[in-house]
Amino acid sequence: MITFDGVSFLYGSREILKDLHFSIRADERVAVLGGSGEGKTTILKLIMGLIRPDSGKIFIEGEDITEKTEEALRDVRMKFSIVFQEGALFDSLNIKENVAFCLREYTGMSEEELDVKVRAILRRVGVEQALEFMPEELSGGMHRRVAIARSLAAFEPKMFLYDEPTSGLDPVNADNICRLILDLSQNGKGFIIVTHKVFDALKVANRFLFLQDGKMLFDGDREQLLHSPIPDIQIFISELQYKEEGKNV
Amino acid sequence: MNVKTLVNELQNFYFLSFHGLLGLLRRPFYLRDTIEQMDYAGAGSFFIIILVSLFVGMALSLQLSAELSVLGLKMYTGKVVGISIIREIGPVTAALVFTGRVGSGMASELGSMVLGHQVDTLRVFGVDPVKKLVTPRILSALVMLPALTLIGNAASLLGGYYISVFVSNQSGNVYWSSIRDVLNFENVFSGSVKPFIFGYLIACISCYMGLSAKGGAIGLRRATTRAVVLSIIMIIVADFILTRILLYALGFSV
Repeated sequence: MITFDGVSFLYGSREILKDLHFSIRADERVAVLGGSGEGKTTILKLIMGLIRPDSGKIFIEGEDITEKTEEALRDVRMKFSIVFQEGALFDSLNIKENVAFCLREYTGMSEEELDVKVRAILRRVGVEQALEFMPEELSGGMHRRVAIARSLAAFEPKMFLYDEPTSGLDPVNADNICRLILDLSQNGKGFIIVTHKVFDALKVANRFLFLQDGKMLFDGDREQLLHSPIPDIQIFISELQYKEEGKNV
Repeated sequence: MNVKTLVNELQNFYFLSFHGLLGLLRRPFYLRDTIEQMDYAGAGSFFIIILVSLFVGMALSLQLSAELSVLGLKMYTGKVVGISIIREIGPVTAALVFTGRVGSGMASELGSMVLGHQVDTLRVFGVDPVKKLVTPRILSALVMLPALTLIGNAASLLGGYYISVFVSNQSGNVYWSSIRDVLNFENVFSGSVKPFIFGYLIACISCYMGLSAKGGAIGLRRATTRAVVLSIIMIIVADFILTRILLYALGFSV
């Protein structure tokens, strides 16, 4: 589904990503781990064609998207459903209008049909009660759920992309979001979750990529990650040990 | 900023300005967004424009009455106030107030949308951000700034009337008859063209600065400041150029 072939990306004079090579199948559940500013979100933006790499090529279902025009990229973007960090809900629209945004844009649904469809999607993610709320009235967890609902309403995606879906959330809400992510991937649809919270990543993913200084330091499964000798990964894993010790206390 | 960056920025600005305007002729038409923007830009600025213009008219009339009475030409106060307001001060005052209130709002709103990934979300949904965000703002500025200028001119002339009649003890009939005299095609046309150009400049500059915001809260502050400062400079420069062209085109001798 996704192939990065020698992809590098510069932000100003700073090289964010350096010569990345990897492939991800549509049914894989992948977590991209790494510290802040390591280029995790940049990977998602590159996949969606929102930014272009400075060198290398990105293939989506065998098709090179690096030279595509904005118009041609629409078809590529419809294959994915992306949830940005903090949700990126439209401030000026209420929750119903946020979720109905694409339906209004691309379908000729009547108000009644829209209402039924939006309610059904919000029910699926567990925030039907927020229908008439404005985004600023929502809690962090509800914000993410509505963002997921909006991405579901948009198109029939082949794969989900989540940018830090649990950051800033309390453990209960983070756990709820992880369950929702797993629930949505049950019919064989894969996802890429970008996060620095290894605890949440281990709950949902079965393949892990670790980024540092723009390079792919690690690519492996859960066991390989947990027993990795790489010092920086061990620092990340230590978050788990604290949690386990906390449980034992 | 090096030359390459400057050329690149100018190219992007012209692209946005051109496509934003072209969006007026291409589907889809975001009527709801346009009405929202018109409400924000027009109705929201109504009282500020009236207040500012009223005091500008009063101050101008006060200055002219004082100066012209020394020369024994006090009866010309209405005429000079009228010409100054209609041809020059009215459009510029309205444009400056519009920049401060609406231009800064446009830049900060769009900047915040960029930083909050809302613009990226539009692109992901296959919606052209220029068509959805810039075109309604350009249209609202093109409609609302001329309307506000007209209202502001009326308020200024009323302020001038108040000072001429109640402070400078001139005849109200003479004042209004002087104003009627200056409401000829040349003056009205000269004052009516400017708000369209100013409105377009303010909307394009503010949208461009907002959409190119980067770097968190400081980036947003920088984008808003740049939008306001650049708009003000461009209004003053464009006013001079337009005045020169219009005076020539309308056959005034300088």
